[in-house]
Amino acid sequence: MSARVLMTGNDAIGEGAIRAGCDGYYGYPITPQNELTAYMARHMPENGRVFVQAESELAAINMVFGTAAAGKRAMTSSSSPGISLKQEGISYLAGCQLPAVIVNVQRAGPGLGDITPSQADYFQATKGGGHGDYHQIVLAPASVQEMHDLTIRAFVLADRYRTPVMILTDGRLGQMMEPLELSDKPAPRVPQKKWALDGAKGRKPNIIRSLYLVPGQLEAINHALQDKYRQIEQKEVDYEERLTDDCEVLLVAYGTCARLCTGALKEARAAGRRVGLLRPITLWPYPYARLRELSTRVRQVLVVEMSSGQMLEDVRLAVDGTTRVDFVGRMGGGVPTQSEVLRHLCRRTNGRCRDQRKLHNRGRK
Amino acid sequence: MLERILIAGTGGQGIVLVGKLLATIAVRSVRHVTFFPAYGAEVRGGTSSCEVVLSSEEISSPVSEVFDSMVLMNQDSASRFLPKADQKGLVLLNASMCRRPAGLAPVMVPASEQAVKLGDIRVANFIMLGALLASKPLVPSHRVEDGLRQFFSERSSDVVDMNIRAFRHGLGLVSHGSSRRQTA
Amino acid sequence: MTRRISIYRRPEALQDTQTHYCPGCGHGLVHKVIAEVVDKLGIRERTIGIAPVGCAVLAYFYWNFDVSESAHGRVPAVATGIKRVLPDRVVFGYQGDGDLAAIGMGETIHAANRGEAITTIFINNAVYGMTGGQMAPTTLVGQKTSTTPQGRNLDTEGPPIRMCELLNTLEKPHYIERVAFTGIAGVRRIRKAIENAFLAQIEHNAYSFVEVLSPCPIYQRRSPADALKFVEEQMAVYFPVRVFRQDGKVVNA
Repeated sequence: MSARVLMTGNDAIGEGAIRAGCDGYYGYPITPQNELTAYMARHMPENGRVFVQAESELAAINMVFGTAAAGKRAMTSSSSPGISLKQEGISYLAGCQLPAVIVNVQRAGPGLGDITPSQADYFQATKGGGHGDYHQIVLAPASVQEMHDLTIRAFVLADRYRTPVMILTDGRLGQMMEPLELSDKPAPRVPQKKWALDGAKGRKPNIIRSLYLVPGQLEAINHALQDKYRQIEQKEVDYEERLTDDCEVLLVAYGTCARLCTGALKEARAAGRRVGLLRPITLWPYPYARLRELSTRVRQVLVVEMSSGQMLEDVRLAVDGTTRVDFVGRMGGGVPTQSEVLRHLCRRTNGRCRDQRKLHNRGRK
Repeated sequence: MLERILIAGTGGQGIVLVGKLLATIAVRSVRHVTFFPAYGAEVRGGTSSCEVVLSSEEISSPVSEVFDSMVLMNQDSASRFLPKADQKGLVLLNASMCRRPAGLAPVMVPASEQAVKLGDIRVANFIMLGALLASKPLVPSHRVEDGLRQFFSERSSDVVDMNIRAFRHGLGLVSHGSSRRQTA
Repeated sequence: MTRRISIYRRPEALQDTQTHYCPGCGHGLVHKVIAEVVDKLGIRERTIGIAPVGCAVLAYFYWNFDVSESAHGRVPAVATGIKRVLPDRVVFGYQGDGDLAAIGMGETIHAANRGEAITTIFINNAVYGMTGGQMAPTTLVGQKTSTTPQGRNLDTEGPPIRMCELLNTLEKPHYIERVAFTGIAGVRRIRKAIENAFLAQIEHNAYSFVEVLSPCPIYQRRSPADALKFVEEQMAVYFPVRVFRQDGKVVNA
């Protein structure tokens, strides 16, 4: 067990990537993830790995494509507008079945927006963003420790399933500092990659492609991808639960919002309210089954997000009408407060499931 | 223990530096620590503030609505943050740049003026840190100087010594009552 | 009899507001010079500027004419979209070195190659300012930045890119000049170059490009006075200050 060090979330991702054996990091400056790029600029060469500041986020994701095609561990990072640029590349990674890690330190949008934190890229991350029928695994850290741990896990999952994996976090987690324990284990073993392009010496040449022009071929590829996604859904769902054994109200949140829900949870419980929390750690695959199960035993599911309500839709899918679903959200860089969450808990209702998406009143004091 | 600390001033006063230092030192003796910086759009001359939270329990947000201690180093920050000050909380003001507020009992520390006397106005932040820890022993004092040395280990010994001297000076200013805690 | 003579005043094309730029930054002066030229040419009401992503992202609050934002690097594309449908307006893009020569390199070259009748003003301070001092395409070899902590390395990062020289290989640009913050004469030359560039657009319906070597004290890691020395004694050595293309013809050194 190693000593505790104080690091920013961004740096913790960087250190996690290095300890996971990341071979190449390709980045481009954008706030609020610049600390990560600077960290990699300093430490990758020190560790004999590759660092390139690319000419754009678009170039960076294509450099990742190359490194992944060569059978090595590749990572890039950016924030919302830059992640939009990477969508084509992510679709290509998925279509070519290449492993890669992409970090999105979300900031408020749409457009150029602001450098304040946000969770409004959930749809982009979990439902596509890039074109075509594909998924990337999406991991959502809620602490600096998880920024480090989940980055290591991301490389393992990417290699295990030959798929892009996204770390979906936000500017608050990225720039805050807190103590963590760095992994002192050796880098996770890299599986054999017979498909990689490293020179066809003594073997048939490999091709990395996502273009399939023979009728029926691409459809078969898509079926294979879908089979893979079903496997991932069966095996890789991850979440954390608190006080869900006896709760009447279930909070559902991830990342920064989950964290502030832990404070709301404590305060609510101290006031005698039986509140629990489900914190998805994988946003794709989403813990639909567990959420469905829990929703049958609670009076209210309350979703907390820094968005207009994106994960809210997955919650509604899971709950499927079995209980009321309410929402507390802030947009454009606003962060819900503990008191706002508690106010929504304590509201007496007539039991009908109300449409909570009237955000023009939300967040205004 | 729950201590929510706000440190604010103008860009260039080393606000973020002193917050990071405090957080780094606290990690050794406090279970849960967070540090969170906030920058104005300008790199120099704009407002700079940061929050440090020290807690024996899990910290749900690095950003607080209420502060147990405030260290305010210029008038802009004082005007901006004093309305959030709690009567129960500790407020330290850089007397060299802040007016005495009505209705509160802050500790007025002539940090910038004393820093100039020590030889470098930029160490006013360490004087304020000393004053804070003399008012509230949040971390064991022997750790602070070790922490300072470690934090600045890559700088020249002159820099380290100046910072330590400033820190000790700040400690002394409050202990000796040279900074007056104004009664409301 | 006494008469009041206005010797020096705020250009009408410049808003009466405080900018957010750091002390010693080059942007403030270039904004003002552009405004002076717009006033002199009497084109304020038909000028449309496009602001970059970078420190000058808020330039639309400083000029007193129409200004659009643009996605990072896409200024020449946005400018093309405007000028093509409003050919009688004076359209100019204002970009930093990341915007113009990194992410926007493709757009920069193609707008110039098509000979879009726009003016591109390129503020080259050899570093990324807004995001905290990272390497730019024009960062000098050996220059330390947050992504080249040991200094820019020729082997791994390649040399800095000379944009005037690069665009000078294309057929259609009409006017290309590099100027610099080198004393009063230098500033006068900045003003003249920008005027020439706008005239190339107005009188010849052609593409013009002005590169301004500028100080960035914070991330060039120097005092404001020393940053000016850096521009004059280091940047201007690698990036020669001269006219490259005049009246559509290449001007040799």
